[in-house]
Amino acid sequence: MSETLLKVSDVATAYGAIEALKGVSLSAADGEITCLLGPNGAGKTTLMMTIAGILKPRRGSITLRGEEVAGRAPRHIVERGIALVPENRLVFPDMTVEENLRAGAFSRDDAAEIGRDVEAMFTRFPRLRERSAQNAGTLSGGEQQMLAISRALMARPKLLLMDEPSLGLAPLIVEDIFRIIRELNAEGTTIFLVEQNAHMALRIANHFYLIEQGRVVFDGTPGEVEEEEIIKRAYLGTEV
Amino acid sequence: MEIEIFGWTLLDYFQTIVDGVLYGATYAIIGIGFTLIFGVMDKLNLAYAATALAGAYFSWGVGTQIPLPAPVAYVISSIAAGGFGYLVYLCNFRYIPSGAPLASLLATVGMLLFLEELIVHSTQGMPQPYPALFDDVMLEWGDFGMRGDLLFVFCLCVLATVFLLYVLYRTKLGMATRAVAQQPVAAQLCGMSVQGTNSTTFVIAGAIGGIAGAMIGASVGILSPLLTVPVTVKGLIAAVIGGLGSIPGAIVGGLLIGAFENTFQLLRSVTERDMYVMLLLFAFLAFRPGGIFGTASRHE
Repeated sequence: MSETLLKVSDVATAYGAIEALKGVSLSAADGEITCLLGPNGAGKTTLMMTIAGILKPRRGSITLRGEEVAGRAPRHIVERGIALVPENRLVFPDMTVEENLRAGAFSRDDAAEIGRDVEAMFTRFPRLRERSAQNAGTLSGGEQQMLAISRALMARPKLLLMDEPSLGLAPLIVEDIFRIIRELNAEGTTIFLVEQNAHMALRIANHFYLIEQGRVVFDGTPGEVEEEEIIKRAYLGTEV
Repeated sequence: MEIEIFGWTLLDYFQTIVDGVLYGATYAIIGIGFTLIFGVMDKLNLAYAATALAGAYFSWGVGTQIPLPAPVAYVISSIAAGGFGYLVYLCNFRYIPSGAPLASLLATVGMLLFLEELIVHSTQGMPQPYPALFDDVMLEWGDFGMRGDLLFVFCLCVLATVFLLYVLYRTKLGMATRAVAQQPVAAQLCGMSVQGTNSTTFVIAGAIGGIAGAMIGASVGILSPLLTVPVTVKGLIAAVIGGLGSIPGAIVGGLLIGAFENTFQLLRSVTERDMYVMLLLFAFLAFRPGGIFGTASRHE
């Protein structure tokens, strides 16, 4: 078992009076792919937004390699090495593809290195190079997802959070995205992703959490997930 | 035989339109300010033109204590208006919940009236002289002439606009401004501060507004409390005609209003011209509500 990179302990986040997370504890091991499953409204996106600092938790602790980041500003968190690829991609629609990438490196000051990283993204995603001067709003869903991933990578994160990267994409594109996730992981980036597509996730993730109504109700390895009745029924569509 | 339309020659019209376009540069800047703040906040700041003129008044006030050369007065106006812009951000936006757009809107109306009252009280309601540059210069080509002071007003407004575009499209601060305007959550994920970016946008918009305020004073030769509301209205119309959120739109809108009002001033007199500007606004709202460069729909 490798070292823990991200540790979330008893985190509660609320929207006004409604508590979306009711004390979530989980962790992501360094160098692995951890996957969070759960139905709509379970609190998956809330958890991602809380870790990234967009939402402030009411209580609990979030540490990256032992350093507390709960409640800190997003800027601080991205500088510490956590980047989020948000649900629905949220590219800057009226900025060019290249500007979107450079925006991802906003927290960095090394102009030469940033230029090299932009080039590296274009090499990894040749479609983005073709469209580098085009406004991001004109890209297809799959291209926008690749742009959102590249933008997050421009911050050079240790931990990449991904909120439903396959949402609304054609099956071939989904294959592509999962191949890329595996590549990034093989290059040393730890990945914590939310995914509805459990079949795809089973092929790449090392560890799973299931969250329901703001609480973690199950965690285990891919083998254990395949044996778990509630997951079989809800996510794998297997007849029991 | 000269062709005459409504009793004026084509040269008269040409002269009128050119003068109007030159002065319209000030409306263009006020329009840019409205559009820029609408872009980042998704809310109107109706006090914007008032802060621009308050900046000009501030430099006039300093000028009554120590004699100021005109260029220094303009710089002071710009700096002061930038400061007023920041105050408006603090009072009318920063601490008002973002989910209450009407509260911010009404707060800026209050700020507009407050600044206007402040101006009336500090000047006893009397118009005050404001220095111009090149007002003794007249460029002439036959019967056609260009006032040196108006030409200067135009050039300085163009410079202020170029400066603003440079900041927006060539600096990290500008990137943050655009990113926050387009997608505030993603902007934060990239490490940008929404509040920091917004307040800086108010300061920069305020500072270029201060230049417009000073240029309005310089081209009219006086500052008067009666300027606040018309300048607010025309800047707003410039932004709406151009398409709220579009900077090129505000520029075109401002110059168009300048030409339009000057033409109707020639045809119908100064007391009637603003009515026609309103009619122009109604025509746009009826037939092209998104404005010339209509991006406002994105903010629906």
